Amino acid sequence: MAIPVKDDTKLVTVKIDDKEYQVPAGANLVDLAKWYADNDIPVFCYHPKLEPVGMCRMCLVELGSIMRDRETGDVVLDDNGEPTVRWFPKLQTACTQTASDGMVVRTNTEAVDETRENVLEFLLTSHPLDCPICDKGGECPLQNLTMEHGPQESRMIYSDKMHLQKHVPLGDLIFLDRERCIQCARCVRFQDELVGDAVLGFHERGRRLQIITSSDPGFDTYFSGNTTDICPVGALTTADFRFGARPWEMTEIPSISPWDAAGENISLSMRLDRDFGGRAMIKRVMPRQNEYVNELWISDKTRFGHHFTRSLDRLVEPMVSFGDKLTDQSWNDAYKAAVTALEGASGDVAAIAGGAISNEDLWELRQLVEGLGGSRLGAWPPTHGGADLVAEVGVGQDTNLKELGAGDAILVVASDLEEEVPIWRLRLKRAQDRGAYLVVANARPTRMEEFALDTQRNDKPVEGAAVRYAPGEAAAAISDLKSSNKDVYDRLADATNLVVVAGADGLDLDGNKALMQACANLLIETDHVGKANNGLMSPIPGPNGMGLHYLGYTPEVTQDIVANPPKVLIVAQAEPAEDDPTATEWLSKVDTVITLSLFPDRTTSYASIVLPIQSFAERDGTFVNGERRVQRFYTAQGPLGEAVPAWKILTTIREKLGQGRAKLSAAAVMLEITKNVDVFAEMRYKNLSQVTRQFPEIGGDDLYYGGTAYQNRGGLGIQIPSAADSGKVKAGKVASVKATKASKGELIALPITELYNRSNAFMPSGLVHARVAVPYVTLSSSDADDLGLVDGDLVEVSFEGGAVRVRATVGDVPAGVALLPQHLTDEPTPIVPTVVTLSKIAQPVLA
Amino acid sequence: MSDTPNIILRANDVENIRDFDVYVENGGYEALKKSLEMGRDEVINVVKASNLRGRGGAGFPAGIKWSFIPKNEPIKYVCVNADESETGTFKDRLIMETNPHQLIEGALIAAYAIGAKAVYIYLRGEFWDVAHDLDERIAAAREAGFIGENIQDSGWDCEVYTHLGAGAYICGEETALLNSLEGLLGQPRVRPPFPANKGGGLYKEPTVVNNVETLANVPWIINNGADAYKAIGTEQSSGTKLYCVSGHVKNPGVFELPFTTTFRELLYDICGGPRNEGTSFKAMLPSGGSGPIVPLTDEVLDTRMSYEDTAKLGTIIGSASLIIMDDTVDITWVASKVTKFFKHESCGKCTPCREGTYWLDKVIDRIMAGEGTPKDVELIANVANNMQGATLCALGDFAANPIIHTIKQFPDDFAKHVQGDTEMAVAGD
Repeated sequence: MAIPVKDDTKLVTVKIDDKEYQVPAGANLVDLAKWYADNDIPVFCYHPKLEPVGMCRMCLVELGSIMRDRETGDVVLDDNGEPTVRWFPKLQTACTQTASDGMVVRTNTEAVDETRENVLEFLLTSHPLDCPICDKGGECPLQNLTMEHGPQESRMIYSDKMHLQKHVPLGDLIFLDRERCIQCARCVRFQDELVGDAVLGFHERGRRLQIITSSDPGFDTYFSGNTTDICPVGALTTADFRFGARPWEMTEIPSISPWDAAGENISLSMRLDRDFGGRAMIKRVMPRQNEYVNELWISDKTRFGHHFTRSLDRLVEPMVSFGDKLTDQSWNDAYKAAVTALEGASGDVAAIAGGAISNEDLWELRQLVEGLGGSRLGAWPPTHGGADLVAEVGVGQDTNLKELGAGDAILVVASDLEEEVPIWRLRLKRAQDRGAYLVVANARPTRMEEFALDTQRNDKPVEGAAVRYAPGEAAAAISDLKSSNKDVYDRLADATNLVVVAGADGLDLDGNKALMQACANLLIETDHVGKANNGLMSPIPGPNGMGLHYLGYTPEVTQDIVANPPKVLIVAQAEPAEDDPTATEWLSKVDTVITLSLFPDRTTSYASIVLPIQSFAERDGTFVNGERRVQRFYTAQGPLGEAVPAWKILTTIREKLGQGRAKLSAAAVMLEITKNVDVFAEMRYKNLSQVTRQFPEIGGDDLYYGGTAYQNRGGLGIQIPSAADSGKVKAGKVASVKATKASKGELIALPITELYNRSNAFMPSGLVHARVAVPYVTLSSSDADDLGLVDGDLVEVSFEGGAVRVRATVGDVPAGVALLPQHLTDEPTPIVPTVVTLSKIAQPVLA
Repeated sequence: MSDTPNIILRANDVENIRDFDVYVENGGYEALKKSLEMGRDEVINVVKASNLRGRGGAGFPAGIKWSFIPKNEPIKYVCVNADESETGTFKDRLIMETNPHQLIEGALIAAYAIGAKAVYIYLRGEFWDVAHDLDERIAAAREAGFIGENIQDSGWDCEVYTHLGAGAYICGEETALLNSLEGLLGQPRVRPPFPANKGGGLYKEPTVVNNVETLANVPWIINNGADAYKAIGTEQSSGTKLYCVSGHVKNPGVFELPFTTTFRELLYDICGGPRNEGTSFKAMLPSGGSGPIVPLTDEVLDTRMSYEDTAKLGTIIGSASLIIMDDTVDITWVASKVTKFFKHESCGKCTPCREGTYWLDKVIDRIMAGEGTPKDVELIANVANNMQGATLCALGDFAANPIIHTIKQFPDDFAKHVQGDTEMAVAGD
């Protein structure tokens, strides 16, 4: 396998330490030496995902080129008939060299050895010798390279060392140890180049050079944790993990982020810990390399949001209500109660499942419901439709967002990707950096829109356009793009590759479904389906939104369940009453609600049987991400209390109902799925855990190069083919959408997403609390004037099913609508556009 | 010597030559007009043929630098390096203060030759008064149609701007200068791409960066031709040079001389020899703090102050900032002072320079305090040696020079310190 390069790249001959290699022209010398020659040129500042800067001087090599006669172009031979090499008089940094024909490199000479030793000696002059208490110790590039290339003794007198601050908070999440910093600028460049949040920089010069943050709050970005992985020393550490454990004490368990549709591959660093009663505890969450999904990066939510797995608030015992109050019961009694309720339903059984539940759970739940004669399987929340269209015209096989670039186009519509799926936003912004044309369409401003409107980034021109449509008019905006915005349409239509991300920001289910159809039609009409790097994606909430679809759960059925409540409703890892103010009304119409829950919440208070389930960290399972990649996660942590995996609860109930023998493992459930659901035919656990060689090579001995993101040992997953991948698809009719209408004095609240919020699963990660926004509502200045509101006023927002008190902010939103973020207030707020009234609350005056 | 024409300082005795009208009355801006008639290629050819070498220190031929600029690129720039931060250098300031229009004219000719539409004069932060004055001179030339749109009906537009740095030696390094000009941290860039290449210059566009003195030569060359210029100086060092002399001489100052002049002629005949009776010349830093120090032996004194002759002495003429030291000076102290300078000025971007300058300073402090050992002298020689050739830009090499060459040339001075003798006279007494 070659370093992934464009097909038209020609191969050139490069000689490294007297051996010739055929490599793609333009490949970076450090990369190619490692990939082809297994020659580890040591680096500190170079990182395969960042532009080279040649600062640390660790990669100096002898460099030359084979001399050619200027006129004839023939190789000039020396007296022995060997090609003459013209050597640079000084050593050159390998990281700033790219392969060209006739390049000659020597990495094994005395001069190179000496220089490596010298550079390490320089780096160590003022570096503290606190490896024994340093988080990086044991997986530290500086430590490892010193052992390999460095001097044995220090010539720097200890008292001559520079002493600097050791606990500088760059923000709430990341600490800087100024003594350990070797000024490689990887963190600065990561934020500038990759993320586009340029919140770090250098201050001062010379030995006084130091990293500072320029944002308020400090280090304000959703990706800060990644800088601790690529930091080649222990200078950057996370507030979550620092001084928590040594790397060699921890066992790495492959897992999948439980938060969003990206399905970031992660590694849970587990250690037996006194803070968890001596049991295996998640000490930290690290990225696990999957170049198709998250490369080497994860969002801060994924990294720091793991505390719910061992939260004291979690449900740890089954509860049953025999009268009006839920009481703790044994599993036996809980199962008995469940069986009784289900048998008494005479087939009027339905289920609603959330987006964070695994395929195995979904399968057993479906079997249970269908075995009882029920058929209604609902997906929660009932806001995102179009999963069927993602299955039909979703991104083609082998799609990799990092391959999008010049000539390609991206359309992001009705989604605030930064808040909904941060890794997609990171990778799509990178695609724009590489030359892809980025169009962002929404009824309101988003971070992604700012990127789309940029004309230049990192000194390179970038292209994009923003389309604003009237609230609720997303589908029409896309359907009419050809006539309303021909320039933009043409760029999308003519693009070599086109990826469309369509969400439900500011839409209800019908609006979202119409939009998805409009986007599918655009892709089909412009022939951007059924091939790699083309097609539709959707930020359906949860890590398994597509799994819900493939296993037969739909939001339409949820709407039906809401309209016609069943006798028995099983709510599986969903929190309708936490999300939706109208849920209490219909939940109270169900005779028996059985929940499979992580937390006691508003929904469980409507249940007569509450069954505690295990989190993703405690069990095996699979999720299907928004690119339809089926990915495995593995058991890392022991069960909390008496919690049991959902699939196991369900298979046990099924056995008790006489639906066959209970299965003993998640793998056995998946085996059954593979035999019964066509698209899962290949998805046996063994297949899902396959890994192929990935560029760049990281982890293990290579951590100096790629950072401490973990090598993937848990599997790259397998993508379910889209319908378009295997045949023709046809455009469909875009249903017309009924707009929500408000009367005078009312506004339409559009629900929006905040990445950091007060949901039950996120709240236990207290470290991030300070970054959760104060509950707010954003309205236009004209509406604010009409209502007599100014920025910062406390207002009550009233709607069907409830009211919340929040701060008013005046912003760039269309008149007549108000942005009302979900999950910021204790009480639920509308999940779909809803008519609301705002009234000012008198501020308490402090005496 | 006396029959050699002054070039840079040719009009310095003309009263108010700084003023636009006076400058024009004395033949000013004729070279620009002539250049516009000659055409771009011919201007480059003449400057190439004149063998005008860069006066910032590196001595790279200006005409060749100009010819590297790709012709088909729409956006190009000329940057004038007026950062003049080398210790003991004060020639560019003199040009800008006494005869600013010859710089502006030279820069405009360079801009015309490469097809640039903007000239940035980057001045060190301390030159704010010079910059303000230049702004007025630029305004006068603009008023008269030598700057701006359609200059002298040639169809060529060009603006000239001044820009003040924030006071960093490293911003005299051309790529750090470009970074600073762009508002970035003043740190050098990786080369290639070079400033003349697409992607390497100001805002990534092809850019010529020339020293003030280099460009001040250009109007004379255009007016008098390459041959007249080549006739002055040595074979490899054409024309005249502004030599800045400071230190222990009777008459320090800036002197314009052809490259054929020897150190003896300058230091004795012009500068009047050692400052104090009873002392003799001991050492010279011929190119400020950055060039290797040399003892002022007869061999050195009788060497011509050209690029090629000084190279034979194992040093450089560089920017020609001669710092002269008499026999009262303790060379270890000199090494310590210059090391402190480079420690202060290292940008910190690359490892050997950032860490090396700090380390050298620590050890040489110890030596100066009489606490050093002969091993410490070996150590700094070795550390300096390890810095050399390993750094991103030349500053690392410069910073190593004062240590390497002071120890090499004046081992006895160091020996005295490590034996515990700190009772040495210091310069400036």
